[in-house]
Amino acid sequence: MSRFPLSLQSLLRALPLLLLAAPAAHAQTKVFKEIAQDMSSQLELIIQDGNLVGYLSFNQLEKISADSFNYKLSIMDENLNDIGAVNFREEKLFLKGVSFEQDVLCLAYVRSNFVDKEFRSNKEFRREKDAAKAELFTQFVNLSGKILATNTVRMDIKPDAQQEYASRKVVGNGVLKHKIQLHNIPGKGFACFYGDDTKNNLLVFNTAGRLTWKKVITEDAGDFTMLTSGTEVDLLLKKKGKPEEGGFEIISYNTRDSTTYPKFLLKDKKGNSLKVLAFDNDPVTGKPFVSGLVIDPVKGTRKTANTVTGLAHRNYLGVFNISLNGHTRKDIQPVFTYWTDAAKSGLFDEEGYCGSAGAFLYPKSSFRDYQGNTWFVGSGYHMGIRPGAILGTAISPLFLFIYTGLSISRIKYYQSRNIMVVKQDAKGALSLENTIPALKTEKVFPRTLTYTCDQRSYYNVTNSDTKTDYVVIDDTKNIYIYNTNQKKIARTIPHKDGNSLYYVFPAKEGHVMVSEYNKKEKQTRLSIEAL
Amino acid sequence: MPFKNLLPFVFVILYTSAHAQVRNLYAYQDLSHFYYEKQKDSLKKAWICPDAFKEREAQRKYREIWDRRTDAVIGALTNNDYVHDREVYSYIDDILRQIIEANKQMVPVRPLLLIDRSPAINAYSTGGNVLAINIGIIAFATSREELALILAHELSHNILHHVETSMYLQAQWLGSDEYKKSLNAVLDSKYERYSRLHKVMQGFTFSRSRHDRSHESEADSLAVILLKKSNIPFNARYFLRLDSSDMILKQPLRHPLKDYFAGYHVPYEEGWAQRRSKGLSSRTYSFSDTASLEDSLKTHPDCIVRYNKTKNLSTPNARWTPIPAPILEKVNKMLVWNLYSSTDLTKCLYRILLLKDKGYTDPWYDFMISNIFSGLYYADRELARFNAIGVVPKEYISRDYFSLQTLLEQIPRDNLKQYCQVMQQQAFWQGLPPAEKDLRTLLQTLALDPDNSEKNKARAAHAFIAGNSTSMYNEFAKNFDK
Repeated sequence: MSRFPLSLQSLLRALPLLLLAAPAAHAQTKVFKEIAQDMSSQLELIIQDGNLVGYLSFNQLEKISADSFNYKLSIMDENLNDIGAVNFREEKLFLKGVSFEQDVLCLAYVRSNFVDKEFRSNKEFRREKDAAKAELFTQFVNLSGKILATNTVRMDIKPDAQQEYASRKVVGNGVLKHKIQLHNIPGKGFACFYGDDTKNNLLVFNTAGRLTWKKVITEDAGDFTMLTSGTEVDLLLKKKGKPEEGGFEIISYNTRDSTTYPKFLLKDKKGNSLKVLAFDNDPVTGKPFVSGLVIDPVKGTRKTANTVTGLAHRNYLGVFNISLNGHTRKDIQPVFTYWTDAAKSGLFDEEGYCGSAGAFLYPKSSFRDYQGNTWFVGSGYHMGIRPGAILGTAISPLFLFIYTGLSISRIKYYQSRNIMVVKQDAKGALSLENTIPALKTEKVFPRTLTYTCDQRSYYNVTNSDTKTDYVVIDDTKNIYIYNTNQKKIARTIPHKDGNSLYYVFPAKEGHVMVSEYNKKEKQTRLSIEAL
Repeated sequence: MPFKNLLPFVFVILYTSAHAQVRNLYAYQDLSHFYYEKQKDSLKKAWICPDAFKEREAQRKYREIWDRRTDAVIGALTNNDYVHDREVYSYIDDILRQIIEANKQMVPVRPLLLIDRSPAINAYSTGGNVLAINIGIIAFATSREELALILAHELSHNILHHVETSMYLQAQWLGSDEYKKSLNAVLDSKYERYSRLHKVMQGFTFSRSRHDRSHESEADSLAVILLKKSNIPFNARYFLRLDSSDMILKQPLRHPLKDYFAGYHVPYEEGWAQRRSKGLSSRTYSFSDTASLEDSLKTHPDCIVRYNKTKNLSTPNARWTPIPAPILEKVNKMLVWNLYSSTDLTKCLYRILLLKDKGYTDPWYDFMISNIFSGLYYADRELARFNAIGVVPKEYISRDYFSLQTLLEQIPRDNLKQYCQVMQQQAFWQGLPPAEKDLRTLLQTLALDPDNSEKNKARAAHAFIAGNSTSMYNEFAKNFDK
């Protein structure tokens, strides 16, 4: 259906603005260009309890002194309608996180006097290096647009600079070791984690913006993922070492007084490492759970461990989910399902091959539903033989060993032709809920790293009211939205349809945001669609 | 039996009168793109920018502004923003004619009157002896005298050359040394450049709004004189009514929402109309910039001031002539159709429910409700349900409107399909003319046909157009006939 463009009235109303802009653009383009240089805009999602509740546009308007700027925060609801704006002045800020709790917005920035700053030369940069500073700057804004409080914590970031090739300008730079993570703590406030050059910091604020407690995390890890529930803040640590995909630990703190709970090492009863696919809150209890794959202690550390041939040779022993309802033994409820157990029902064989899907499961996504089931979604890989390569090997002269070797290596290939949706119920029984035919991937060599074999991505969307879970599967050609309750594809959206290109993004609960870019009209239309 | 031979005639008469209620509002060819084809050319030729400035720069800018106005009006005509419905046009033109004939000295040349299809409660003068009145303000008016005041007001803008003066002042300012100096001052400053530029623009906007306000006041005063000379009574209270023109979506419904759907025997769950969102839209927010609609942001600001200035000029003991019911009904239907064809489905449905509250029972409204659900299901299929609903924040709408938009947003897809199917099988369809029935066939293809290809849609649209070449619904069908 068509939509009328601007009516004449709105045009006439907009005319003064157009009139102002147009001639000025001709005569005084320079003014607008130069003003635009100091301006920037960034759109962030406002998240509460893992749900999108709104959008925030962070706008830098202008420079007001040597080191300060005018900023404007435009706050939109979950339907992208403006609900208000906040203006303030500050030093150079970089917005890194937005969260929401009890009608208070918490924004976490890096405030720095050297990042993005232009220096005339390297010499000037070195001269000013000693005065360089970086801080975590948190801001608390209520829904009347009042800034309730701000907090500053000094960060240790080594000042760096890069010279731009074309302009020869030297621009200040700096990197955090672990990016800022900001989450709300239901009923309490906000938790913020980051790692700088010297420490990893965990900070908890109440909704009035007061720092409740602060903790230096002494654990050394390659990666940290933060999760909050009403009573605690949890950090999932990924340690370096063998097996590469394992080495996970969880450390937890009481949100009220920062009491540290005993560390939880992610291993099965036999001490096998676990690969984590999901670390999230249970939709019913709100308590943390973790799910993923059990890694074979031997095969999981071999050179072929993360390859597609490794997948077919029992690199993983099965799947698991662990409910972390507390910190005593009875509160931790692990459910391990090994291929050897699943083989009894005939769904998988002992190598992890699923006969009914004709493929090995390589899950990239996992989530917990309202019925207590844990889901694993990912590509199904099947092994194939190239008869031509067998023939080539047979007829190749032995003295041309390179040719022979090449032919042998080409005999086996792996390919994904479908997406597998597997459910692990509360007792650990596995079932193949569906196989979704997808665009065939390239045929790959057995030693190809599995995560590079396809470009599919996955995320789940929940409707807490109808207690329905959906998986959004972004494949090369189509986007599939799978309804787990009805066991069917609710929608198939082609990435390309005529002149339009479609993309799907997370939106408010139970919805997705569909972006349609019309190549011909060079226009983007956004629509927040219910699932 | 002497009457036996008359029976066929009786049937014809009965059939015609049954159809008279839902006859086409206007022909497709009455849309401005067709109807004003010749006027477009003559406007282009007639609107030649006069030499008003000695300075070349100012004259150049004046020409730019002038041409932009011409392009805007020609563009709106091409875009079918206007319609020439014979009955409605004649009724409005008759009022205009009465004013002009009584004021020949001030209005020597008859202006071009346009009926704008916009639902906004407004009218406007574009200068160049053209004035336009929106369908929205005709539907809002309660008497012929109110419409006369609107026309006299816009006519006064033309007589006083307000649009031309405004364009002249804009060109003068943009071509002035003062403007250049102020822009250069922005460039020379190291800091706060955006604020400085904003101030420069605000200074002009302020002076423009000052001019606009004085123009409105002048137009009001002259309008009263024009009316008096035309022997048309004037009532200043109209300005007070106009003050609430932005509140149309705040009007409540007379009955609970479910009652409006009960007659169609479609499933209805209260939960669909109850907001389940956890988003910010459901919170209580009170940002100073959005807490209330400031008077200056209203479609018609200064209404109280305008009332106070003119209240002593109101005609005592005047008699007000109601707008004929067929005209009002036609205008309302045009409004509903225009909202529908601009895919403003919630506003369209809410309008219908408000009209039903006022006692409008024509099956054409049931036909439109069916179209709305088919349109919504089609939009859902095309991943555009959200845009077809046009979610409005709660502070601008009534609780009932909020419930209705929530219902349209939350009704599950399967139920929406059911609405679509059930509505298309209702009894009211039997009495509808062929064009309406053909539109149902087109919408069935768009919304329910398993073949969702563009080719299939184009085929159905083509079939509709072939059988209904003069139907106003062609405008809708044309979108798919590609």
